Amino acid sequence: MSALFKPDETFRDDFTFRNSPAAIRRFPLPFAEDQYMYSVNIEPHLPGPRGSVLEFGFDVDEHYVAECRERNLVLAAEPLRFQALPHMMSAQWDCLELLMESLARDYPAHFSLTRQGNRWHWINRPLGIDQHFTFGDPATLPREPLDYIGRQAQGDFVVMDQREGDLWTEAGVVTTQADWSLDFDVGMTFKEWHGPVPLAHEMNVFDRALKYLLALRLGQPVRRLNWTMTINPRLDTSPENYPYWGPDRTRVTARNAGELVHLRVEMQTLWRLPRSNGVMFGIRCYLISVAELATVPHWARRMHRVLKDLHPALVDYKGLTRYRDAVVEWLAPFDDGTPTSPGTAPE
Amino acid sequence: MLITGIKSKPVYAPLCADVTGRHHLMLGVGLGGAALLRVVAELETAAPAALATTRVLLAAEDTFERTGIASLARFDDQAPLLEAFTTALEGSLMGTRLYVAGPESFIGRAMQIALRFNLNKDEIRAEECGTLARRVRCVHCRTTTEEVRTNIVRCAGCDRWLLVRDHYSRRLAAYMGVMVDAEAPGELPPIREIYL
Amino acid sequence: MNEAQTIAVEVTAVEQVTPLIRHFTLKAAAGGALPAFSGGSHIIVVMRGAARIHRNPYSLLSSPHALDTYEIGVRRMEESRGGSQFMHDSVTVGSRLDIAHPVNLFPLDKIARKHVLIAGGIGITPFLAQLEDLHGGAVPYELHYSVRSPEHSAFLGRLQEREGGHVHLYYDSAGQAIDFDGLLSRQPLGTHVYVCGPAGLIERVIGTAKTWGWPASHVHWEQFSAPPVGDAFDVFLARAQCTVHVAPDRSLLESIEAAGVEVPYLCRGGVCGFCQTRVLELDGELQHNDHFLSDREKAGGRTIMPCVSRARCKTLVLDL
Repeated sequence: MSALFKPDETFRDDFTFRNSPAAIRRFPLPFAEDQYMYSVNIEPHLPGPRGSVLEFGFDVDEHYVAECRERNLVLAAEPLRFQALPHMMSAQWDCLELLMESLARDYPAHFSLTRQGNRWHWINRPLGIDQHFTFGDPATLPREPLDYIGRQAQGDFVVMDQREGDLWTEAGVVTTQADWSLDFDVGMTFKEWHGPVPLAHEMNVFDRALKYLLALRLGQPVRRLNWTMTINPRLDTSPENYPYWGPDRTRVTARNAGELVHLRVEMQTLWRLPRSNGVMFGIRCYLISVAELATVPHWARRMHRVLKDLHPALVDYKGLTRYRDAVVEWLAPFDDGTPTSPGTAPE
Repeated sequence: MLITGIKSKPVYAPLCADVTGRHHLMLGVGLGGAALLRVVAELETAAPAALATTRVLLAAEDTFERTGIASLARFDDQAPLLEAFTTALEGSLMGTRLYVAGPESFIGRAMQIALRFNLNKDEIRAEECGTLARRVRCVHCRTTTEEVRTNIVRCAGCDRWLLVRDHYSRRLAAYMGVMVDAEAPGELPPIREIYL
Repeated sequence: MNEAQTIAVEVTAVEQVTPLIRHFTLKAAAGGALPAFSGGSHIIVVMRGAARIHRNPYSLLSSPHALDTYEIGVRRMEESRGGSQFMHDSVTVGSRLDIAHPVNLFPLDKIARKHVLIAGGIGITPFLAQLEDLHGGAVPYELHYSVRSPEHSAFLGRLQEREGGHVHLYYDSAGQAIDFDGLLSRQPLGTHVYVCGPAGLIERVIGTAKTWGWPASHVHWEQFSAPPVGDAFDVFLARAQCTVHVAPDRSLLESIEAAGVEVPYLCRGGVCGFCQTRVLELDGELQHNDHFLSDREKAGGRTIMPCVSRARCKTLVLDL
């Protein structure tokens, strides 16, 4: 079992994170065509092909143990990366139930959940956790429910309350974000929180997305992909720590771009929560270096074209300004002009 | 990080009376008195019965002629006004409308209090008048720097140079400040006084 | 909604709680717990009658904390198109039904500083579940329950036992009436009012709240009314390429479903907007019976809510 995980990988300092060939092949490429623009690209979160990142509701991959350790490091240094307004307690329990049930059902070798009424017993083998607790009673867990389970799942979780015809961001555990602050945004409505995203507002993307999410149904989650780029395989690219990771953007050259620059894809899933009637927003982060990505020939060609022609407002908003040209130059030799077939599969 | 045109910046409008409300509570600071007088005049015409339960709290130098309103309380400063405001809300009923006129930083503080009483945007109207100076919350050290008139400001807590963004938090009543020269230390964009 | 996503349930108890109201207890046919839900939720119950399929929404009145069973209350409707009659006459202990996952269009506001609940008759049902969430909490609440007479007051025993001083009862037969003006003129800031029951009661509460200056966002209502009947008409579905006949006592939605075409829905009562459908061609007039479209949208003739609306027309083509 331990051969499956790479527990000593790091997402900071020496950055030993690497994708195995298998991880590369299952990477969720966000570009189905040679150019990219926003869309309300929401689709039902139905089970995907075996072995793919979509096979299960919440994907656990070779980086699981290392990512959980990284999350604990961030939370130890900055406890406010977990927040929950007082009225969100039942939503926190909903999230805990959803994650525990899913992980135990989909990865029985790693997790198990047994229940007798409200007396629950949770085992997390990769992290060495064995916990008895009473569902609904916060005193029986070492931390608040979302904080507790958030440290045992990959990706960020944002929890929204639904009221007054809107969604309110009022709880979350956010340590692997692409440059937004939970502490600053807590209390905001859906459109306020997305305020900084350029162009999309004019395209009514958020009006339509909000309407769709307000009608989200129990048992029918949805998903979409989002993407940006990161220098080094750094998960914590929060605004809080921008002074530390910002300077990395200046270190990219056309020579090292393949190794330093990483494509960062967010698999976003949205779930209606049963007892609180809230919405849980899972933001699962996948990283791949440009060099790793280029080992798949037609991904290299596609990435080259998408970046070359990206709308300037998106280049700016996604923080690519300083190094986009270096990456394009690094990828150029891979692009011989051959057409790429539409779709995101490695073949 | 130099993003413009953010849609999460609050938008204000000249105050006008909301005649669907039964009780009216008004706060005015600095130049805000004039706006409140206008609202009272509108109520006199459109809903005179409402004046009997209209309360005004003022920290302004305007002469505010009492025109049949329930009460007018004057304060030297924002702080005691906001305290009195909190007390007023505790005794207020559903059907109340809140009007706030003054500098944005005052509006933000008043909104924080109103939020605790579950007043929502349908029950509050706000007009910005006076200085545009901002409260800026440093996302790095979480200190709030007051009275910021420039696009770039030194954080009162950690000394970093911050870009003052338009992204605004009602909960914190402040705009976000993010380090502006992380990628090129010492290289600051021109500092301009734009929030006068 | 996809029929494949329903849950098979079995009726484990049936009780006549008033001359008009029957109380049903349901458990999962496959055993185990039923899905967790929030107070105010309803389920769509699919009833397969001899001549037709009924899909009616019923509020869950059981506790959200006891998931071995669901409980619903069904009032026998005098001019019924058959759904409530089916429940009363054909459903017994042991009967099998299909239900959809709970949906909540009538939730409590989580940051309210006080809740005022107003129920008329069968409208008590969603509040019974919500009271389980409010009970013992820090937020004050009160329930005002108006019924015809003691004989017609459902679930009163369990209400008074559990909620005591929070419940105010009004018997029409004794000339007792809710003092709406008094009630809505003296609530503290941050109060939310919720009403469920007959249309007249709902209109009264909404109107009184408006008079006293309540913003609409603090007034919540739920109404389960059967789709209005009307003249028969035909509709052509452009994508399915078929003509559907809408009988007088079938709704447009039901007729489309009977033809094998699925339309998304949540409430089937003209409130949620989920079944909103584009009108591609119209020679005649639409009869809008919903609470979702704006006056402008209704006048525009380009969109319709098939769950409750109808048409008087020579031609009607829908984007389905």
